[in-house]
Formats: sequence, structure tokens, C-alpha cells
Amino acid sequence: MDFNTFIAQFISGLSTAMLLFLVSSGLTLIFGVVNVLNFAHGSFYLLGTYFAFQIMKLFNNYWAGLLAGTVGAGIVGMIIEYFFLKRIYGRANEGAFQLLMTYAFILIIDDMVKYIWGTEYKTIPKPAFLSGSLSIGSIMVPSYNVFIIIIGFLIVIFAWYFLMRTDRGKQVRASSLDRIMLSLLGTNVPLIMTLVFGVATAMGGLAGVLAAPLRTVTPGAGIEIIIDSMIVVVIGGFGNFWGALLGALIIGEVLSFGILWMPELATVLTFIVMIIVLILKPEGLLSKKAIVRK
Amino acid sequence: MKRLLSFLLIVAILVPCSVSYASETIKIGALYTMTGRGGQYGKDSEAAIKIALDEVHKKGLPGGAKLEVIITDDKNPQYAVSVAKRYITDEKCKFLFGIISSAIGLAVTEVSKEHKVIFIGTDHAATDLTANKFQKYYFRSSNNTFQSMMAGAMYLKDELKGWKKIAYIGPDYAYGRDQWMELKWALDKLGVQYEVVGEYWPKLYEPDYTSYITAIMKAAPDVLVNGMWGGDTVAFIKQAKPYGLFNKMKYFHVDAGGNYEVFAALGADMPEGLILSARHHNNWPDTPENREYVQKFYKATGRYPTYAAQGAYVGIHMIAEAIRKVGNANDPDALVKALEGMKIKCPEDPPGFTSYIDPQTHQIVQVQAIGTTVKNDKFPPAKYMLGNFKVYPAEKLWPNFEYIEYITKVKGK
Repeated sequence: MDFNTFIAQFISGLSTAMLLFLVSSGLTLIFGVVNVLNFAHGSFYLLGTYFAFQIMKLFNNYWAGLLAGTVGAGIVGMIIEYFFLKRIYGRANEGAFQLLMTYAFILIIDDMVKYIWGTEYKTIPKPAFLSGSLSIGSIMVPSYNVFIIIIGFLIVIFAWYFLMRTDRGKQVRASSLDRIMLSLLGTNVPLIMTLVFGVATAMGGLAGVLAAPLRTVTPGAGIEIIIDSMIVVVIGGFGNFWGALLGALIIGEVLSFGILWMPELATVLTFIVMIIVLILKPEGLLSKKAIVRK
Repeated sequence: MKRLLSFLLIVAILVPCSVSYASETIKIGALYTMTGRGGQYGKDSEAAIKIALDEVHKKGLPGGAKLEVIITDDKNPQYAVSVAKRYITDEKCKFLFGIISSAIGLAVTEVSKEHKVIFIGTDHAATDLTANKFQKYYFRSSNNTFQSMMAGAMYLKDELKGWKKIAYIGPDYAYGRDQWMELKWALDKLGVQYEVVGEYWPKLYEPDYTSYITAIMKAAPDVLVNGMWGGDTVAFIKQAKPYGLFNKMKYFHVDAGGNYEVFAALGADMPEGLILSARHHNNWPDTPENREYVQKFYKATGRYPTYAAQGAYVGIHMIAEAIRKVGNANDPDALVKALEGMKIKCPEDPPGFTSYIDPQTHQIVQVQAIGTTVKNDKFPPAKYMLGNFKVYPAEKLWPNFEYIEYITKVKGK
């Protein structure tokens, strides 16, 4: 394989990975902090897309759409956490209730989208200055894919700073380890959980808007991305933010080079990677063993 | 006097009942994908069914009978089979109808066979159903993938010069796999020399084709054949365009690539010169029948139809015509006879041709028109439509018993 092909395929994998990371980081954050396996996470990706579509239809401005999709998905996420999910925290069989409730929200949000915006495919155009391509040597890379990669890395840097360098970030990390102790120390843990849910679903919404100019805006799109995101989270480790980044990079690149070398097996490769990780390190690549949550 | 009043009361109650029983309601149990990416096909089929029912009832059925169509979201093969059985046993449906997915169509045809109830397939395109999996109660009102691929092979042979290297990308399930097998078979039969430089099998509903696109660019085929449908096509074209893929190879996508929803979703982003086709075109043929059908649909829904709508529209007319021939809907074997060889005027029929049901395979036989994308904003929100059509005669496309023998050998009965 020549160097140009390697770079082209690597950049393709990176762009796939960044969108996967944006969705799965929210999913894993919710699991880590709020202790909810949010099956409906893909629905916030979908909502972000449609909120953006609506705002762009009104104002014809991509950035307004990006903001509306991100914030809108976050607000709906917080409403759902505050009014619904909060009611099942701490129940004896919370896991089953979580699964049922979040699955119900997939159906509700999907049907709501269909009811409001219809079943036809919608289009969200890219900003004009990102519609072309960049030439890196003899390789052509769409500017918009580069933009997605940059946004992905900016989110990583911002998340690192927030989680590792701010008091609020430390509280978020602490709430994933010992909520009772944190509460006794005077922290409003329920508020942290609602805010984390909001930020995580907003990241899902952001991923939806970023992906929209490249993908098909249609009801059901949220369900399509959730399986890959789950694989990423399993590989990286449930509840581990950096694990989501590592998992997304692995899946993006494995898929990308798999398509080049063995296209017949490309889609199976991601599952093979997941199985290998589950056998060798069942808790995920970056998770510590047997964390007992209090 | 009291007796007379009682008698009149009974008559007053019974007469309206007997009047309502005089005009029979014939139930049709339909299954369509109403949610997710295929949801638009279900919605379009539903709208077309209503249009066809209005036309059928305006013309009338024997004994003043009325057709009633019940629609259920088909979800998956297991669920669709249970609904189909319930349609027959509980709802007393005389016909099964519809279905977008070939996998579900293949499951439901077994129910039709077992219960001897006619099943009109309106959108799923797996050739198997009218070939190796043929059963006498199954009929299809839209073309199968072989018809598209045979016409496609003729186009590749006659219209594209100087190509040799070919690659394929299509969804990794029966629909995608079959198209490629059929196209290669047809090219071989036509004596076309070619070299396959890549085969790519993304999963159905894959949201991200970036890595496939760069791999295809590396393989550098002269012709890229795409076997996707619906939103997958939209996503692929959106993602491939900034890579300059369409300038470096001929893009060829002739079963579902030219479906209207692709033009509507891509708008001005649709590249020019792509070779596409579909099972119905809103702008071809330019006949009063096609114009009227498209306008009726637009008036009813505020949007232009995808090809799924025509299959449903024609299917309802097929049922009505069979009932008119037989006089009722109670004898499925007589209805089968009535449907075999039936001529049925479809919106997509060009002047001088009427589609018909092949009596041996129960497949509708239709012409295929393949075109290239050209600027045309007469069907908004689309900014491009197909033009420069090449038309392939129906009888050259189906039935093809040599292929049926081949597919039976490869896939079994």
C-alpha cells in the first residue's frame, strides 16, 4: 500500500471515528455519571438534526442550526431525565425500567419526528466555505470532513480541561464513583446528574447536526447509529469518556482499513474487535476492574 | 294493531341491514414499512392506494362491492407473517398486499401459498419471488431486479464505450447481492468483456461511506455500479461528491438510484450525468396517463411520488380488474386465472405499450427507461431529474427462463 492510500484511508477513518466519538461519548458519560444505559441516545442525535433543519429553514444559517440542534437536544434530554428517568433511580430492578423507558423514548421521539416533519428525507446544506475539498499532496479530502475532525478534537480538549481542571469537572468525576459521599459533602448530586444528562444529549444533538449534511436526515436515523456507538462504548469501557475516544478511533480505523483490505469482512471486523476486547478485557480497554458504585 | 307495529319495527330494523349486506366489502390486508428510512415508501403506497380505490369505486365493482385496505407496519419477517395470518383468519381478507422489503416478501409468500390467498407484491424486487420461489398465488405489480439489471447490462454494452474495469457497492443482503449477480450474468450473456476491480458490501442503512469511497477511488474502476436504495443512495452521493468520485468514473445505478426521493433529498447537490433509473419516473413517459397520475398524487399529498406509489396503485387496479372478470372475490383459483396474462395500463407505460402479467411467472412485464441526471426544477424540491432516456423493450427483459434456471440452480427452490 502506498503512502497516499494510507493517508487517505486514515483520514477517512478519522472522520468516521469523530462522529462515532461524539455520539458514544455522550452515551458513556450518561452511563458513567447517571448510571443509565440510555438506549434513546440515538434519538437525541435525530432530534438535533431536525431542530437544526427547522432553524435553518427559518434563518438559512448553518451555525444557527448547529446551535439550535445542540442546545435543543440538551434541553429535551434534561426534561426527560428530570421528569421521567429520575423517578426510577434506585428502584430494585432499575436496569429493566431504564431499558423499557429509554426504549419507549426511541419510539416516541421517532414517531414525534415523523408526525411533525414527515417521512420524506430532509436536506441540511453545508456552509458554503466548507463545501469544497482540500488537496493534501495527491489526496483529496472534503473540507467538511476536516471540519468534523477538528470539532471532534476541540471537544476532546474541552472535555479534558473541564473534567480534569475544573471543580465542577471533579464533582462530575466524583459522582461517578460515590454519589452518597459527594452528597454528604454538600454537592447537589441530582442537579449534576441532570446537567450531565443535558450535556451528553447535547453532544448527541451536535453529532446529529454535524453529520446531517453528509447523511440522510430521516426518521429512524438515530436507531442506525446506536449499535455502532454501543460497540465503541463496550470496547472503550462503559462509563469511560476517554475509552469512548479510543474505541471510536479503533472502530473508525479498523473499518476504514478493513474496507480497503478485505471488503467482504469489513462490517464483521468491528464485531470481531469487540469480541476480542470482551474476551481479553471484558470491562473495556480503559476501565478499571469491578468498580463498585455507591 | 300491536302486531302490525311490531312487524313494522322488525322490518324497519332489518331493511337497512339487508341493504348494507347487498354491497359486499372485500378486504385487502396490506403490510408496509411505515417507520424508519423505508417509511416514506409506506406512506407513498398508502396515498396511492387511496387514489386507486377512488378510481376503482368510481368505475364500480360487481354487485356494488367495495374494496377496503387495512394497512399494518410490517416491522420484520416474523411479525409480518403473524399479521398476514391474522388478516386471513380473523379479518377474512381475500388478498395480501404490499411489502417493501424482499426479506418480508419472501416470508409472506409462504403464508399466501399455505392459505391459498392471493398476494400482490407491490414494491419488493427480489427476483426469486417470480422465479425460483414462484408459487401460483403470488403476483407482482412492479418490476423485479433482474428486469432492471438486464436493461442495465444492455445500456452498459451499447451506450458506454471503452470501459473495462467495473466495481460494485451494494447493501449486504439479498437485494444488494442479487443485483450484482444478475448484472454480471446479463453482461456475460451479452458477451461484454469486463474486469471486476472491487466489490463492497456496506450494511443496509450504513450512515458513513467515507472509507468505502476512498477505497473505491483507489480501485479506480471505469464504472461504479451502486445497488443501494433510498436514504443510503442519498448519503453515498452526498459523501462521494466532494471526493470528486463522479468525475473520475461513470456512476451507474439502475434499479433504485433514480427514485424521486433521491432527487428531492439532494436538490442542487445532485451531480450531473449520473446514469440512473427507477421503477417509475415522474417525468417519463410524458403521457396524459403519467401526468394525471403524478398530479393526482401531488394534489393528494403535496409532494411527488416515489416509485413505491406506482406499484401500490397498479396493484389495486389489478385486484379490481380480476374481481370484475370473475364477478366476485371468493374463488382464488379463478382470480389467479383472471390475473394471468392480464393487461394493465400503468402510468409508466410509453405510448403503444401496455404492461401485462406474465402468465408463467406472475411478474408484471414492463419497459425499462434508463437516463442520465440533467437540470430540471419542474418537480420541486428536486433540481435535477432524469433525461436522455434510453428505453428497453419489456419482452427483452422478462421472462428469461435461462436465468430462472440459473437462479434455481444457484439458490434452490
